[in-house]
Amino acid sequence: MATSAMVEYPGDVPVWVNTDNCKACDICVSVCPSGVLGMVYDSTSTLGAMISVDNPESCIGCNDCELNCPDFAIYVASKQEFKFAKLTDDAKARQERIVANNYMSLSEEGVK
Amino acid sequence: MAFNYDKYLRLEKMPTLWCWGCGDGVILKAFVRAIEKMNINQDDVCVVSGIGCSGRFSSYVDFNTVHTTHGRTVAFATGIKLMHPDKLVICVAGDGDSLAIGGNHTIHACRRNIDMTFLIINNFIYGLTNSQTSPTTPQGMWSVTQKVGNIDPTFNTCDLGIAAGASFVARETMLEPKKLEKVLLKAMQHKGFSLIDVLSNCHINLGRKNKMLSAMANLEWIDSITITKKKYDTLSDEEKLNKFPLGILKQDLEVREYCDMYKEIQDIHQGKRAKLTQDDFAKKI
Amino acid sequence: MADTREVISSGNHLAALAGADAGCRFMGGYPITPSSEVIEQMSDLLPARGGVCIQMEDEIAAVAAAVGAGMAGERTLTATSGPGISLKAENLGLAQMCEVPLVVINVMRGGPSTGLPTRVSQGDVRQAKNPSHGDYRSITLCAGNLSECYTEVVRAFNLADRFMQPVFVLLDETIGHMHGKAIIPTEEAVKSGIVPRKQFDGAPEDYHPYECEDDQPAVLNKMFEGYRYHFTGLHHDKNGFPTEEIETCRKLIQRLEDKVMKHTDELELNEEFMLDDMTGEEGEVLIIAYGSVALAAKESIRHLRAAGIKAGLFRPVTLWPSPAESIKKHTDMIKNVLCVELNIRQYMEEIERVSCRLDIEGLFKVNGRPISPHEIVSKVKEVF
Repeated sequence: MATSAMVEYPGDVPVWVNTDNCKACDICVSVCPSGVLGMVYDSTSTLGAMISVDNPESCIGCNDCELNCPDFAIYVASKQEFKFAKLTDDAKARQERIVANNYMSLSEEGVK
Repeated sequence: MAFNYDKYLRLEKMPTLWCWGCGDGVILKAFVRAIEKMNINQDDVCVVSGIGCSGRFSSYVDFNTVHTTHGRTVAFATGIKLMHPDKLVICVAGDGDSLAIGGNHTIHACRRNIDMTFLIINNFIYGLTNSQTSPTTPQGMWSVTQKVGNIDPTFNTCDLGIAAGASFVARETMLEPKKLEKVLLKAMQHKGFSLIDVLSNCHINLGRKNKMLSAMANLEWIDSITITKKKYDTLSDEEKLNKFPLGILKQDLEVREYCDMYKEIQDIHQGKRAKLTQDDFAKKI
Repeated sequence: MADTREVISSGNHLAALAGADAGCRFMGGYPITPSSEVIEQMSDLLPARGGVCIQMEDEIAAVAAAVGAGMAGERTLTATSGPGISLKAENLGLAQMCEVPLVVINVMRGGPSTGLPTRVSQGDVRQAKNPSHGDYRSITLCAGNLSECYTEVVRAFNLADRFMQPVFVLLDETIGHMHGKAIIPTEEAVKSGIVPRKQFDGAPEDYHPYECEDDQPAVLNKMFEGYRYHFTGLHHDKNGFPTEEIETCRKLIQRLEDKVMKHTDELELNEEFMLDDMTGEEGEVLIIAYGSVALAAKESIRHLRAAGIKAGLFRPVTLWPSPAESIKKHTDMIKNVLCVELNIRQYMEEIERVSCRLDIEGLFKVNGRPISPHEIVSKVKEVF
């Protein structure tokens, strides 16, 4: 399957995803400090879930999601392209709730 | 954007066939970022891989690539490197490939100190063939060939590399991809045999009956058994038994590189210099 | 003649010299009696010419390094004896599958297993046909005198590049260690006869190394010259990447077969000694032998003819693929056929197969000693 590993920078976002490559491993969600990401149910994809960028406004540009993604599925803008947020306590707290929700987006119910 | 991997990938091969959350992908990306910093023409790079999940590494990167027989990765690479000593040659293999069937070749490549980088992706199991014991599977863990608990003692990859004479030996994990990238770069820039033990997760095969079925659980375990070299040196012997030190554990710039020494042999046969004697070498035994 | 020279040398030394003269740039080897002289010579010959000769840590590493150098695009060599071929088998299979040229010299000794390390046999002939698992066709040459220890190695390098696969050159302990006069081509004659592997010179994006006609070998460009592709022992597509696609896999394996078997005319080489006056009449004797045994066979034929028995020798130089039609032409005509070899029936079974005859006689010797002309003469008189 010939898909580009890199999706063109859509402009004006801190972080974006390539859903063709995402295998729903949860790693990016687990390493994000700011509760930006979450998995949503998707019956057509591996493990029945897909990455979703729920709270881009909280993205601090740490790049941990991209560095730890094994599958070229998530990308982060450079500091020259985007003005990232600062890490807040609210964002940290939301991240803890996402982890407790088994990495599922807070918009989804319960455990996978 | 932060980093464009496209240039170094065979995009028509994506997505990779590795399991969800497999560390191989993280290591692949760190390797690509490190290669970018080498500022080297892709035509001047050769990646040789062994058999196993990590063996598929070579088909994903856009260099001159070779997928060899099980355990013989560094032996094939030795032939390639000796014919082209000025090219960058990188070997990638798993723990089974490099330490079990390929143990002898690993030892002798270290001994020769031939200029190449050996990236050993150590996930503590034979992954591709579904969960057989490898030389690094911890004792007491479940594997399909030792379902009541593994009795085989383990190798310490880095101790082996150091004892065998490699001039650059390091250990990292895929938990800290930026650190891994830095060490990979140093390893490739080092002139001599660079051996890097990269601890990785195989939650699908090692993890499934060893209480680590999710990638994150496996990563937590790797985190719990590793520690920086600096902190490791302060531990008691008992504490050291269950921790792997991370970082560059050995870098010797004095050891002569094999292709350089072979150039001397060629010069001698072409009448450009006198024969070698023991006096040409610091080590006389 | 200006393009030959006379030398005094031994079989192993000549084989090494041939490799160096034929443009071999790499040898991966390991010591094993009775082939060790090849690497001993190459360790001087190759670096003098800018090449590399390395003694690796074991037989497997030796062939792996040689195949690696072949993948890089160079003419490469490995040399060993029977136990070494057994060890090398897996990587020989990789070279077959990836279509990497390689010359493999086997100086045969008593087997199986450790056998008789310092004594002669021809016990690896069957092994040379199929050292490794799976479907492919072996190309195996067998030197029958000192000069051929040189010329067959030269031919092997050209055949390896033509057919893009390993080519075996079988010597045996007798001929490998035999010291005497040989008339061999000059180095210039050899160099002018070198036919290197084909290379693709178009744009890299148009290059598909394993996309070739059904009876042709892969075109593998040298490494590091701008053509990036993949080698793998798995079934692979036109660019070398692993695949399980039904038709691609079928075509690949069929092509490995056809690239050799549809071009046996380029491979066949035989010697017919005192066969031109044979007419098929009663009493004529056809002896089939190869390697050092042929030297004794020729001498025995002189004795037999002096005793009034019209005998002749058919000597295949290319053992595999076997010269089926040529053998059958003679076995159809001549009733009394004796196959002489230093093993038990290994080539005789091929003779039986291609001649469709089960009444062929055999003289076999497997105690590590050469067969003497006298033994052959006695056998002929006994059975015919």
